[in-house]
Amino acid sequence: MKYTSSRRAFCISSAILSLAAVVPGLPGLAQAADETIKLGIVAPMSGPNARYGAFSMRGAELAVKDINAVGGVDGRKIELFNADSQGTPVEGVSATRRLIDEDEVNYIIGDVSSSVTLAMQPVAEDAGVLLLNAASSNPKITYGAGVGGYKWTFRNYPTDENRAFVVAKYAAEQRGFSKFAVLSVDSDYGRSAIEFTKKYLPEFKGEILSEDYYKEGEVDFRSVLAKIRDNGAQAIIMYGLADTTPIVARQMVEIGLAGKVTLVGNGEFNTEKTIKSAPTALEGAVEAAAWLPAFDSPESKAFVEKFTTEYNEAPNNHAYVHWDTVNLLAKAIHEAGSADREKVRDALSKIKYKSPVGDVTFDDHNQARLPMILLQIENGKPSVKGAYTADIQYPAQ
Amino acid sequence: MFSTILEQIVNGIVTGSVYAIVAVGMTMIFGVLRAINFAHGEYYMLGTFGAWFSIDYLGLSYEASIVVGVLSTIVVAYVVGKLVMQRMVGAPAESGVLATLGIALVLQNTVILVFGGGYKFFSGGYIEPVSILGFSLAQQRILILVVCLLVFVGLELMVTYSRMGKSMRAVSQNVDCCEVVGIDVPQVVLRTFILGAALAALSGVLTAPVNVSVYGGMGELITFKTLPIIIMGGLGNVRGTFFAAMILGIAESLVATYVGLQFRDTVGFATLILMLMWRPHGLFSTQARF
Repeated sequence: MKYTSSRRAFCISSAILSLAAVVPGLPGLAQAADETIKLGIVAPMSGPNARYGAFSMRGAELAVKDINAVGGVDGRKIELFNADSQGTPVEGVSATRRLIDEDEVNYIIGDVSSSVTLAMQPVAEDAGVLLLNAASSNPKITYGAGVGGYKWTFRNYPTDENRAFVVAKYAAEQRGFSKFAVLSVDSDYGRSAIEFTKKYLPEFKGEILSEDYYKEGEVDFRSVLAKIRDNGAQAIIMYGLADTTPIVARQMVEIGLAGKVTLVGNGEFNTEKTIKSAPTALEGAVEAAAWLPAFDSPESKAFVEKFTTEYNEAPNNHAYVHWDTVNLLAKAIHEAGSADREKVRDALSKIKYKSPVGDVTFDDHNQARLPMILLQIENGKPSVKGAYTADIQYPAQ
Repeated sequence: MFSTILEQIVNGIVTGSVYAIVAVGMTMIFGVLRAINFAHGEYYMLGTFGAWFSIDYLGLSYEASIVVGVLSTIVVAYVVGKLVMQRMVGAPAESGVLATLGIALVLQNTVILVFGGGYKFFSGGYIEPVSILGFSLAQQRILILVVCLLVFVGLELMVTYSRMGKSMRAVSQNVDCCEVVGIDVPQVVLRTFILGAALAALSGVLTAPVNVSVYGGMGELITFKTLPIIIMGGLGNVRGTFFAAMILGIAESLVATYVGLQFRDTVGFATLILMLMWRPHGLFSTQARF
């Protein structure tokens, strides 16, 4: 008897609660439909790439806050939704579906990981929702976009092909390296960066002596580093994850590679924390990134300052690209003169947007023309060596 | 060539030591409860987080953080042991699987909620390299090896001579008879569980300086690495677990060097499949005990 009454009480109270939740929501919904811009962010909020997700979200939040503070885009406020991809394609697809079906967003920015973005593309295409990628570098994403197939995918980020070329050229010509070892993450990003490195390395008389890929979450690199020590490579080509860089660098010190073998590639070699974890291993490291806090332009410096005051932490590449991409979307909505998805899409393909790293336009594959910034760690600080743009050679259809 | 192999074997033994300390707790818990503790890696994670927290937030030294990490895990293990593990005595096997998987989710996500899902940087420990036998190794790795040996000698003595060790063996052989002769079974289960969790935490704190990063999901991987070890060692067999952990550590290290780093995690799972096919009772028992 006791149980029955408590169960009944539970049912009644939960019914009241759900009513209370629905009733005030109704007028809000009607208003939201024509006035707010619903923007979803798919990012890895947990799992091995959670750091990227946290930075991405903060970058997007900062941009939305600034846009809404001046009254939104032509009077339309932006409402931000967040869904966790956990950095895996399966979770990324369900996060995308949640945003589309439950939150009814019109625009999605996501994901950081290339593998996830590739899986999200068909989902956004089917729903006719604009997918703006801000941080994935696998070339396939825009090989298959625009005239390549997916009409609703745009990418505001440079690709691995561009990056691999810039890094290989600099390492060989400026640093004189010819013997390389590969240690990259086992994902669409790490693998494709190496694929393109192999395409360009022979032009610079470089050879690869060993090739290893690590799983996300790997913490023991001693075996591979010992092998690299013994095979005589001058540099390790690493397209890796930011969180793994300190582990590799520490173990390079442990095994006696620091100062003898140089890291080249990408994986946030340039943040203060990473350099502090193993300064001797990172000295001289070469990295190509879409952006870094030390980039010298007034708009970029202003962003770094604003972000740092807001969050008490310097922004990283992912914070910047998400902040920038929200601003890009706002500009496209403004130029379209409407929040209609199709009009915004057309506006985006014709846009001339002034970003802090240079003017942005999109090609017929919906790929932004953007430079890769090359930097080298000197005396424990990143020093920018130049910004390079390369035209993309799309494979024949 | 020879020195490379030797170096990889030493690497493997260090990795094996980490696995061994975690796995021995899991195998002892299996012994008394007949349930695989799928949340075991989470205690490894909790210990590491406790130590990280005490270094980053409380400003303690690494030595003190080892104590804090292990003690805080013991507190959590006591609560979980009282509320969940003691109820599993005599319960069907599936309830053990569900309960421990549930605990794993709760512990992992609580930590992610409180501290965020990102990687934390563990700054303590003795990471200075020392040179032995012609190659260099962080001091911390030597510490891990020494602690592992001490733990196993201690456990061997405890299981053979102490009252707690004897009652643990008794419970693992026959729960009903234990009750007849007056052994407090739930008490033995609780103590074994706390001991196992504390060892996992100790392993986590010792490994953190060389693994550098600390995050909520780090326990999962360890659970799945220890699973093949305890099966290889013969479930409930302390000595077997030690050798099985060393074999897996060395095999992983050699595979990572000569086959490729990306195949490292395959070793454990492949071993698990082979063991279940040919010797489900483990390498070191002549017949199945259970």
